[in-house]
Amino acid sequence: MIVQMVLSVLLGAVLLHGWTQLRRSPLIAWMSLTAATGGLYLVWAPAHTTEIAGMVGIGRGADLIMYLWVCISLNLLLSLHLKQLRQQETLTRLARHVALANAFVRTNDVRAAAAPTVARLQGDGRRSTRMRGHTA
Amino acid sequence: MRVISSDTVWIVCPAFNEERTLAGVLTRLIAHGYKVVVVDDGSRDKTREIAEGLADAVVSHPVNLGQGAALATGLAFALAQDADYIVTFDSDGQHRATDIARMIATLKSTRSDYALGSRFLAGRQRIPLLRRLLLRAATIFTALTTGLRLTDTHNGLRAFTRRGAAALDLRQDRMAHASEILSEVALSRLPYVEVPVTIDYTEYSLAKGQRASDAVMILLDLFARKLHR
Repeated sequence: MIVQMVLSVLLGAVLLHGWTQLRRSPLIAWMSLTAATGGLYLVWAPAHTTEIAGMVGIGRGADLIMYLWVCISLNLLLSLHLKQLRQQETLTRLARHVALANAFVRTNDVRAAAAPTVARLQGDGRRSTRMRGHTA
Repeated sequence: MRVISSDTVWIVCPAFNEERTLAGVLTRLIAHGYKVVVVDDGSRDKTREIAEGLADAVVSHPVNLGQGAALATGLAFALAQDADYIVTFDSDGQHRATDIARMIATLKSTRSDYALGSRFLAGRQRIPLLRRLLLRAATIFTALTTGLRLTDTHNGLRAFTRRGAAALDLRQDRMAHASEILSEVALSRLPYVEVPVTIDYTEYSLAKGQRASDAVMILLDLFARKLHR
């Protein structure tokens, strides 16, 4: 009973995580939800475990639960990878904004009216300027 | 030879640690009368100094983000400069500045929005066997995933009209950007054309180019992108 409670809490957390990812990563979310729901069913109906394992060609019920847990773990790893990708996109946007705002532009032949936000450094004797407030 | 035209052509050169070749590349482009923006992708060598000495503009990423991100930054800059045509041009010296005028002319004569360079249409070239096989596999992959029938899918020399460049939504920062550009070309439904171009392979450009093992990472990146919004 104690193990069942602990597993239920863990699988409940996976369900919650899947639910929070429904909008951003629907495929990952549904995989998590399906695997966690299946896991909960097997935890509370252990008698069916061996029967289902036999139906899908695994043999032992314990192995089925282990495979299911491996699937959930891989799914969570993929979810973490996607989260990291999103953070990378944010970093890229930020870096691009900074880079464009500080672009080196040679002033002798680049049209001044290129962007309304271009500000020119005046009277410093240089042939270049930096763009200001230019967005990606 | 300088280009005499009322059109504004901006060349976007992404560069990461290219101090060995960048000056030569920029000198040739400027001699042809093009405006050049170098996107320094967080280089640790003298790339930025060389670019600021020669290019019309330099946009420097504060950290290394990848060639795809550098191209997207360069396109954003060129669009903000009211470019009529935008050309992507590698900084490792493998492209020829003389091919650009033909690409722009082809865009105009065919009323296309994308001119994609192809090394396989330019007659017999010395292309290493492994690279040839890799590129062949990439063309099949592109045909299957985008429907585009191309002979060369990973050529860094491309020319876009303003409309074409604005239609590209590039999010792949690193190696998968070439495949993403083609995917965006297909999604845009704007007309495209392939143009024969010559690639000058050197030990340097081959060392910096993609390897067979990179193809696996590209596939993973493209797959991961499909999984989230």
